[in-house]
Amino acid sequence: MEYNGGAVVAMVGKNCVAIACDKRLGVQAMTISTEFKKIFQATPKTYLGLPGLATDVQTLAEKFRFKINMYKLKEEREIEPRTLAHLVSSTLYERRFGPWFTEPVVAGLDKNNNPFICNTDTIGCINFAKDFVVSGTSTNQLYGMCESLWEPDLEPEDLFETISQALMNAVDRDCLAGWGAEVVVITPDKIITRTLKSRMD
Amino acid sequence: METLFGITGKDFVIAAYDTKAVASITMMKIGEDKSRNLNDHSVMLYSGEPGDGVHFAEYIERNVKLNGIRHGLEMSPKAVASFARRELADSLRSRKPYSVNLLIAGYDVKKDTPALYWMDHLASSAEVPFAAHGYGAYYCLSMMDRYHRPDITEEEGIKLLKMCINELRTRMILNMPDFVAKVVTKEGIRVVQL
Amino acid sequence: MADRYSFSLTTFSPSGKLVQIEYALNVVSQGVTSIGIKATNGIVIATEKKAVSTLIDDSSLEKVSVISKNIGMVYSGMGPDYRVLVNKARKAAQAYKRVYMEEPPTAILVKEIASVMQEFTQSGGVRPFGVSLLIAGFDESGPWLYQVDPSGSYWPWKATAIGKNMVNAKTFLEKRYNEEIELEDAIHTAILTLKEGFEGQMTENTIEIGVITGSPTVQEDGVVVLPEFRKLSPNEIKDYLANIA
Repeated sequence: MEYNGGAVVAMVGKNCVAIACDKRLGVQAMTISTEFKKIFQATPKTYLGLPGLATDVQTLAEKFRFKINMYKLKEEREIEPRTLAHLVSSTLYERRFGPWFTEPVVAGLDKNNNPFICNTDTIGCINFAKDFVVSGTSTNQLYGMCESLWEPDLEPEDLFETISQALMNAVDRDCLAGWGAEVVVITPDKIITRTLKSRMD
Repeated sequence: METLFGITGKDFVIAAYDTKAVASITMMKIGEDKSRNLNDHSVMLYSGEPGDGVHFAEYIERNVKLNGIRHGLEMSPKAVASFARRELADSLRSRKPYSVNLLIAGYDVKKDTPALYWMDHLASSAEVPFAAHGYGAYYCLSMMDRYHRPDITEEEGIKLLKMCINELRTRMILNMPDFVAKVVTKEGIRVVQL
Repeated sequence: MADRYSFSLTTFSPSGKLVQIEYALNVVSQGVTSIGIKATNGIVIATEKKAVSTLIDDSSLEKVSVISKNIGMVYSGMGPDYRVLVNKARKAAQAYKRVYMEEPPTAILVKEIASVMQEFTQSGGVRPFGVSLLIAGFDESGPWLYQVDPSGSYWPWKATAIGKNMVNAKTFLEKRYNEEIELEDAIHTAILTLKEGFEGQMTENTIEIGVITGSPTVQEDGVVVLPEFRKLSPNEIKDYLANIA
């Protein structure tokens, strides 16, 4: 978790969810890239966040892309966020005694457009949440920011502002995360993706 | 300690390596080739565990060439990097992982853009405008950060590279002998002695 | 050597047939009749259960099986082969649930079983299953009634019959079936259809019935609860029989 650094956060709003990540890839204190992807689109209305060891982030992103595509072909439907969460959980638990070093976040709207967010630990123990979930190296800072900024029933634009401020101010107090950010807000009729400029030091 | 560099510019990538072969604290040889040309437009630099680098790079090289023969199409730098990453990632969780750091420098002929991929021994891969491996990275990344622009010319690239090498020769406690640079452009790969 | 092509399952005959599969279908068509009817609010599957001797304790014989919470299955053909498939189906359902924490949709489980049956028509050293199956399931996309044959082919039905009396039974069902049929009527129709070709006395101990009815509901936490497949007890069957007579 601390080797490459990085943070992911997800929040529930009114009929919408948001997920955000920083863009740093480092090797301990040395920054290698400021364009490193940590959140991935799973379905038209579900995103998967994978902070943690960069190699496992990339391997798992590929693994889940494969599994999600196979699910879609077999079942002739998109995977629901809750189902994806259990798929993530069972995939991680397969490596119970030699885990993938990542703590995934799932955020999305289900087929009735109800918000769903959750995160898991490295071996797939799911934590369902009604408000927000945080993951990565800045969890402490993110908890503080989310506890103070988040409120129920935020509209998409307000949710965007809330999650952006929470993430940016959290990673500014974390030397392993930051260097730009990406925010995705998922609403029933559109996906809003924005990249944020932030402190580059 | 081995050092690898990579710098992209407007229509080229420079990939450079020092030619030391080291065993523990002893320098065994100067003039070691730490690069392999994967195809006409991509080159791989490697450092790390001595045997692993050559073995892995040649394995990738031959598979990339085989792929080119089979399909009559050259693999793009992105495809080469993805393939190398997958192989390294699979090896990472095997009984005896390869311990190699890589730079993959290439020119995407279809998209008409240069590409540089940084990859460490854990198989974390990132496309970057400039990169370095080894202790040299600590000295030189900051310089590249300061002087690199996406639109630099080849001469400026070489100049930046020389600045970096100069910095290593002044600051690092180790002896920094020859460096060899490979420049990849639309026309192919060519060697530049520094 | 007229039946030269009946030895190896993996050999086509010159006319393009796989005779072993056809023989397997013959086994099915000699087997005891089974009926399935899909209603607007559920499904019923039913079969005869006749013991070869009066000395057999038939209370423990089982021909209608629960596969998962929302899926049930019945067969015509060879009993031992059926039990193998029941085991495989139950395992497949649990394997799906282990990964997704949901019951498998009917279509997915059917494909799983069908692919097992197909495998046994192409592998070496095995023979095809001597059974056809009727699989009833209720999932988020509604009630489904599938038939699976020894070849591994499968079809969804509104109502169908397999086994000894299937031709007559299907004709009977074609006359009786309508799109608005409700489960209670469907159970009656199923019993009547069975009665058509029934030899001997039909009692609560000589037929088996499985039903699934209801509709999927969503809990407050977003978890979907599916209807349950269950077998009718002898007492319940007795009541239905009393209404018919």
